[in-house]
Amino acid sequence: MAQLSLQHIDKIYDNNVQAVYDFNIDISDGELIVLVGPSGCGKSTTLRMVAGLEDISRGNLLLDGRDITRAPAKDRDMAMVFQNYALYGHMTIYENMAFSLMLRKEDPNVIHKKVLAAADILGLTTQLNKKPSQLSGGQRQRVAMGRSIVRNPKVFLFDEPLSNLDAKLRGATRREILLLHKRLNATMMYVTHDQTEALTLADRIVCMSMGHVQQIGTPLELYDSPNNTFVAGFIGLPPMNFFDVTFENGVLHGKGFDVQLSDAEKATLADYNRKAITLGVRPEDIVEGGDLPVKVFSNENLGMNTLVHGHTGDNIRVTAKLRGWTDYKNGDTVKLGFKRKHFFDKETTNAIRKGDR
Amino acid sequence: MMNDQSVRLDRMRFTKNTMSSRLVLLAIVFDAIYFVSLYKINVDFYYNMMMGASILYNLVFMLAAFLASEGVKNYRQNFSWVLCLLGAIQIARIFIWPVQAHQTTVTVAGTQLLAMSNGQFVRSVIYLVASAACLFVAAVVNFTKSRALKAHIAGLEGQKA
Repeated sequence: MAQLSLQHIDKIYDNNVQAVYDFNIDISDGELIVLVGPSGCGKSTTLRMVAGLEDISRGNLLLDGRDITRAPAKDRDMAMVFQNYALYGHMTIYENMAFSLMLRKEDPNVIHKKVLAAADILGLTTQLNKKPSQLSGGQRQRVAMGRSIVRNPKVFLFDEPLSNLDAKLRGATRREILLLHKRLNATMMYVTHDQTEALTLADRIVCMSMGHVQQIGTPLELYDSPNNTFVAGFIGLPPMNFFDVTFENGVLHGKGFDVQLSDAEKATLADYNRKAITLGVRPEDIVEGGDLPVKVFSNENLGMNTLVHGHTGDNIRVTAKLRGWTDYKNGDTVKLGFKRKHFFDKETTNAIRKGDR
Repeated sequence: MMNDQSVRLDRMRFTKNTMSSRLVLLAIVFDAIYFVSLYKINVDFYYNMMMGASILYNLVFMLAAFLASEGVKNYRQNFSWVLCLLGAIQIARIFIWPVQAHQTTVTVAGTQLLAMSNGQFVRSVIYLVASAACLFVAAVVNFTKSRALKAHIAGLEGQKA
């Protein structure tokens, strides 16, 4: 398998629109990297540059130390799986999977063995004589993956492969991709806008916005220690709640509520005394019985948890994920408190961590 | 672990019998050339019922052969017999229309001429023989392959059981 290195990659289109700014990452052998971000953030463009489908405007792309920045797509030894499967409708599943090897004029017996092995991995053995139109969306996506597997490429690239599937199938196929990664131990880059996919699949996540890398880290790092308000708001479902507060003598003063801080939190904010900051609290870190009065406008029971949506006195929207079954009515007022808190600089939106300044 | 022979057989489970199918299509091409060349005879006013019947049969032949080509593509053994029958008819046809036309003389402006010249007769026979040969070979190839595939699948099912 392969090590991939993206060094100071920029993408500037002919109309001078810059889609990607200074993208840097070293991907280890067998690592699964997920690029996540909202539409238009440059994640697919980055993947296409790696695949060779887009030119790299500036920077270097190295595969196992070899510079492949200007190499054509066919010489990069990478396989890409697309959102729309890109299968040949007139060919059987077997022929679809064997097609790239047939083009390379490999021995038909070798092709046969590779196709059967890939079909076995993906559970497609009984479908090989069917046409793509006779398969479900999930099975078609598995065929697309099988077509990549038979090539035994150095790097697998996935461009939102689950976007066309319904929710149930998406979960099942996601687990299959994870098993496939474990089984093949292949280097993979995976693009998605779905944070659940990112959190469950990735060894490391690259969170992007407006062409800039916002944070690179393990799923836990992005969830637990987001670099800025963008990452904090993007990773986590429901998203993090944000409050404008002022830190003063160990207390956070918000509009209509005060929050006492622990000694560790006070130490973190030592340099921000009498300054306005942004307080971030994840819905799952909000508990009943605190100082923040919230007027409920929606109560969603999910079985194990309940999502309570409301507004503070300052009309700031708050979502709390409360354990168990609650039954608040529209207009009820509930007092909420915070467990784990995140602090962000109001000007830069960067996270405030101990010893940052 | 499968050896090369087993892999070759196993491949047939997922690939078409393109060789037989293409041979049948080639047989249709030879027949079509023969069909077109029927109109080029030495004289303009020679015609009999057999010529019309031959043209009509050509249409039937092309349809039947095309259907058979699809059948053998999927290793359907019975279509080998259909191909053999079509091949035999192609051979038999030689002794009806081309021979008849070749043996017939017509009088044009007081001169006796063969309705079909020697050269055209030989070419017509070659087209029909080539067409028949393609059909016979396609039938034999299909018969052999489909039998081998059947035995292979039976073996696989035996292993499963």
